Amino acid sequence: MIEILDPTTEAAAAQSIAWAPRPTALQGKRVALIQNTKFNSDQLLRRIGDILKAEYGVAEWKMYDKHNASVPAHAEIIEEIKKSADVMVAGIGD
Amino acid sequence: MAAATLTSKRFTAQDEADAIEQAFAKGWSDGLPVVPPTEARVRAMLDAARLEPGHQVAFIRDRAVAVTAEKVAINAVMAGCRPEYMPVVVAAVEAIGDPRWSYHGPGTSTGGAGVLMIVNGPVARELDINGSDNLFGPGWRANLTIGRAVRLVMRNVCGSLPGLLDRGTLGHPGKLSYVIAENEAESPWTPLHVERGLRPEQSAVTVIASDAPHQFYNQLSPDAEGILTTLADDMRISGTVMGQSTYVVVLAGEHMRTIAASGWDKKRIRQFLFEKTHNSYAHLKRTHRMSGEIASGDEQKMRPLVASPDDILVVAAGGRAGAFSCYIPGWGSAKSSQAVTKEVKR
Repeated sequence: MIEILDPTTEAAAAQSIAWAPRPTALQGKRVALIQNTKFNSDQLLRRIGDILKAEYGVAEWKMYDKHNASVPAHAEIIEEIKKSADVMVAGIGD
Repeated sequence: MAAATLTSKRFTAQDEADAIEQAFAKGWSDGLPVVPPTEARVRAMLDAARLEPGHQVAFIRDRAVAVTAEKVAINAVMAGCRPEYMPVVVAAVEAIGDPRWSYHGPGTSTGGAGVLMIVNGPVARELDINGSDNLFGPGWRANLTIGRAVRLVMRNVCGSLPGLLDRGTLGHPGKLSYVIAENEAESPWTPLHVERGLRPEQSAVTVIASDAPHQFYNQLSPDAEGILTTLADDMRISGTVMGQSTYVVVLAGEHMRTIAASGWDKKRIRQFLFEKTHNSYAHLKRTHRMSGEIASGDEQKMRPLVASPDDILVVAAGGRAGAFSCYIPGWGSAKSSQAVTKEVKR
């Protein structure tokens, strides 16, 4: 018999991710759209925003641009979104 | 050293063959058999790099993952590394965890980047890291296992699982291992790590998120300008074209000697290639690489392939015979992921 060691990341026992509470409906919610700046990604998200307004009754949507497609959303827009939106949609435009 | 407890979960196998099959079954492998990571083998890795198991080698910010020396050592064992390779693996993992390399992009992107690792300094010769014939393989244990270890860390520790968080559309064979040494013994030029701020007697690894190598051929030219004109013509439309990525140019024996005989250094090579790889806006639009209609003046308006001559890294490596060299387009754009050089600490 031999013993081998696990090469993968093992989550610490006490560690957990605190998910933001999910809304039960979109009626009257403020939506943030995060676009990754790839070609046409703004058009795709604008269409999604309009559908959310027309069919799900969201109050408004606002679009935020990442610095570029390959980096996570930067702190400034995350802070802004935390203050001014209830839900957000992040998408890529590949 | 390394007397501290290893904290990774343990599994029991009947024998080595069973352990190899378990590694496949548990999803720990890149598709090839692995060396079973026993405690003795893992400790030998840690001792060779003089690292405690809990030492944090890198922190992948975007994944919130701390990469410990213990996990790097386990994956280096599985890759088939000799213990003395461990400091090179550690330096490469430090480099891909550097915010300038920006793991989030090249670790995930549909662009399918490999981690090209260029090793410089005494360690390359001591570990027999190949910088000559059959540069990109096969044939050398150090070249194939060091890169494999880094990719296994990306898979097993950082979560870059093909099809899940590694979404490469095509990927390429360099994603298994992509390690070369600069041929400093025969090169007439300043080594890459010295150009990037280290001393010649230091050892270093430079990581670049990269596409596959593109070989080019020029058996005609007796001088630098001829060879590099061919290279520039091959390079001009390559990679993402519009992205302005980093490029690595690998000049092998014959081309290296011809270019050096013309008195050209790496700086002049970079400058020449920068100037000769511009594309006109009209061509970029005509070939659907740049959006928009062709406007007046677009035939004369030029866009460089790279943002700066310094984004072209020139490396002397490859076999002595043959009128071939290659260029390697970087992933994405240089502003999204930069080449990072780390000292190999021993």
